[in-house]
Amino acid sequence: MELEEIISKYPPKQIMLIPIAIIILAFISLGATYFSTGSPVHLGIEFTGGTLITVPATGTEDAAKAQFAQYPLVDVRDIGNRYMIQFGPMSDSEYAALAKQVNAEYDGAEIRHMGPIYSKELQAQVMRYLPISFLLMALVVFIVFRQPMVSLLVVVSALADILTAAASMNITGVQLSLGTVAALLMLIGYSVDTDILLSMRVLKRKGSVDEKIIGAMGTGLMMSGTTIAAVIALIIVSNFLYLIIPSFTRMDVIADMSTVLIFGLAADIFNTWVTNAQGLRWYFSRSSKAVRGQKK
Amino acid sequence: MSLINDLFKDTRVVIYAAAVILAIILIAVFGLKFGLDLEGGSYLQLQLQGAVTQVDVTPEKILEVQFGASNAEKHGDTYVVTVPGKLDPTLADDLGYSGAKVVTQGNATKVTIVASSETIITNYLKKNLDADVKIVGVAPIKYEIRTNVTRESLNALLAPVGGSVPVGEDTFVQGVTAETVDETKKVLDSKLNRLGLQDIKVRIVDNKYILIDLAGMDVATAQDVVGKPGKFEIRIETENNESMHVLYGDAVESVDIPQGDRQGGWGVPFTLSEEGAAVFQKAAIDAGATKNPDAHDIAMYLDKDEIFSAPLAAELAGSLNKVPVRSMEARVGSGDAGSAKAKELYIHLREGALPVNVEIVGSGQVSAALGAQFKIQMVFAGLIALLAVAGMVYYRYREKRIVLPMITTSFSEVIMMLGIWAVAGWQLDLASLAGIIMVIGTGVDQLVIITDELMRGGEAAAASADRSIKERAAAAAEKAGAKMAATTSKVYLSRLSRAFTIILGAAATTAVAMLPLLYMGFGALTGFALIIILGVILGTLIARPAYGRIIGHILGA
Repeated sequence: MELEEIISKYPPKQIMLIPIAIIILAFISLGATYFSTGSPVHLGIEFTGGTLITVPATGTEDAAKAQFAQYPLVDVRDIGNRYMIQFGPMSDSEYAALAKQVNAEYDGAEIRHMGPIYSKELQAQVMRYLPISFLLMALVVFIVFRQPMVSLLVVVSALADILTAAASMNITGVQLSLGTVAALLMLIGYSVDTDILLSMRVLKRKGSVDEKIIGAMGTGLMMSGTTIAAVIALIIVSNFLYLIIPSFTRMDVIADMSTVLIFGLAADIFNTWVTNAQGLRWYFSRSSKAVRGQKK
Repeated sequence: MSLINDLFKDTRVVIYAAAVILAIILIAVFGLKFGLDLEGGSYLQLQLQGAVTQVDVTPEKILEVQFGASNAEKHGDTYVVTVPGKLDPTLADDLGYSGAKVVTQGNATKVTIVASSETIITNYLKKNLDADVKIVGVAPIKYEIRTNVTRESLNALLAPVGGSVPVGEDTFVQGVTAETVDETKKVLDSKLNRLGLQDIKVRIVDNKYILIDLAGMDVATAQDVVGKPGKFEIRIETENNESMHVLYGDAVESVDIPQGDRQGGWGVPFTLSEEGAAVFQKAAIDAGATKNPDAHDIAMYLDKDEIFSAPLAAELAGSLNKVPVRSMEARVGSGDAGSAKAKELYIHLREGALPVNVEIVGSGQVSAALGAQFKIQMVFAGLIALLAVAGMVYYRYREKRIVLPMITTSFSEVIMMLGIWAVAGWQLDLASLAGIIMVIGTGVDQLVIITDELMRGGEAAAASADRSIKERAAAAAEKAGAKMAATTSKVYLSRLSRAFTIILGAAATTAVAMLPLLYMGFGALTGFALIIILGVILGTLIARPAYGRIIGHILGA
């Protein structure tokens, strides 16, 4: 059958070229964005500072633009019976005036204001905590397996997932926001679940490595399947339902979060059953020879 | 049913059932609270302005520069400053050394100051920064500067006295001490409560930021209420429209409720402390306000805005000439504006000013209607997610007897979490609801691991999705040389334990990766992280062990 063929037909070293190529492509995407914008992914308003308001769409977009023309207006978007209006950084007194005006002219306005201190602090936090999160995850993996090579394969697969998810943000135009950071952290912790399942099965069960990998694959694909199903539910409700049900609104945070998750989960399937699985095949084909030589 | 009887002999199943029932009771009794983004209201994120710093400077040098002295020496606990010629007698007082002894002998003046070196440094910083400075910590001694300073501005300030901030990252830290943050939080708390606002939450994040949720208030009003420190000051007019500082709000001992008079004017009566009254009397006499009240207005400021300015009343001026007067009243205007101003002043006088200035770094609002709509959308998303997951599980196992327990277990994990949220009084915000959906998605994964491990069905399961569960279970049992019915058998237990090694590993990685989120983003994602971490823990400890038993029985039956 197909899956088995993919797993066992080609020598591991050859197949490993694909994930390596993907990782390199991800690095190129992140690097290119870094050189053009100064950060590996496009920063959202929470990281650049600014003000975001959504108001009921009572007039045309142009009317809304004209209404707030005296403020540093960046963009007006229709998000399903509401307009989302984005402003660049402004002074405290300007913001106070804007908030008063919005509340005077609209019922049920949503406002989010991120000052320069807030966004700078947030950037610093992400730089600090994203690596911490990854290291904690790696630490747990090493404790669980107590086998350097097996653990390393799991961690490398997770790293590939995160890089792919981050690169996919650049391709789909999703900006880094608090929601997407949460999604990336979620991926760090969750994407190793299938890798743990795979490695545990290969280590603890009897039988040939290829057979065990294929056995684990049934369970693992199912795991990814249920999570992807839940994420797709989030994507539909946050992103598309407002197009069908007029009273619904686009939920930005959830939409961004689920977009990153879906790419990360897709990358996880690939990295678990190609990167990690082939890594294990390669490792056990080497070590089984070595082990046989050592043991009586 | 014997199946149910059998199951309820198992401790794990009993604990699980009890936990779910308890959670339902807790939800019913305490109810669920929703966050601001679902209920409507506004939030403010405040940063406290200040820095904690070390200072490298010699106190003698400070005194020399401050007094224009030829020499300053330390003798035990005292500093002796020698100044050529005569000295303005009020200079020592002005610099903050109120107990200093000033003796002029010949053409030199000796000033004797009893003070520690830290006091001298503190006084210098206070005087030059016009802000409160507190000594914190011992060895190395650090100074908490309660205003906005940078390392550069502080170095520039210390340069004239030959001092500097020592080089190094931890010698200068933006922010204030935990105690000051806490004190500020308390003052804010009581001020907001005085305003009669309901449902206000003031939280501290990262020891540096204060988060305030104000339910049912728009953000413009919230900024007006919170953004000001409430510093009260009394000044007195001296000459040519200039004025001098007399007192701050800390000299006010007590304050009465605002009173309106017949003309519709509003006033706030307050009482000065004894020392405060003495200072006020001295200032009034020095400025000449007691002799000629009309030329020397008394002005009161709240956050540098003048709220009151008038000459001393004739009889007050008269009595001030003889004795200190403690009872005073600030007349703030008439009508509704006067009433509001009086109430604001009353709160600030009563609760005191914030220890530090606050800067609003982020803020926002959500309307109640929009929040309600988000709530509906998220419930919708949750239901769709549960259905989608159920669909996936059915597609894989084609067996109601597996799908139902799986979905029920997953759903009951959500119930247990909500139970904790209810009893803890935590708020469910948009992000927590997203977290719940993620818990459904990932929780089922673990149930899949258990099921597959027990059935040994992992092998080629993807290929044999259309084979019936019984066939596969039987085949697996045959292969393992044991009957599934023997749920206490060694094979069953070893499989279960193997499943749990995988689950524990997977659960631990998910939980630890979420830990940083508890501290990130000014608390915006704490709910998301907490719900995932707790969901993983509850699932692994309570729901999944029980599921392992239940599914074992069902597969065996």
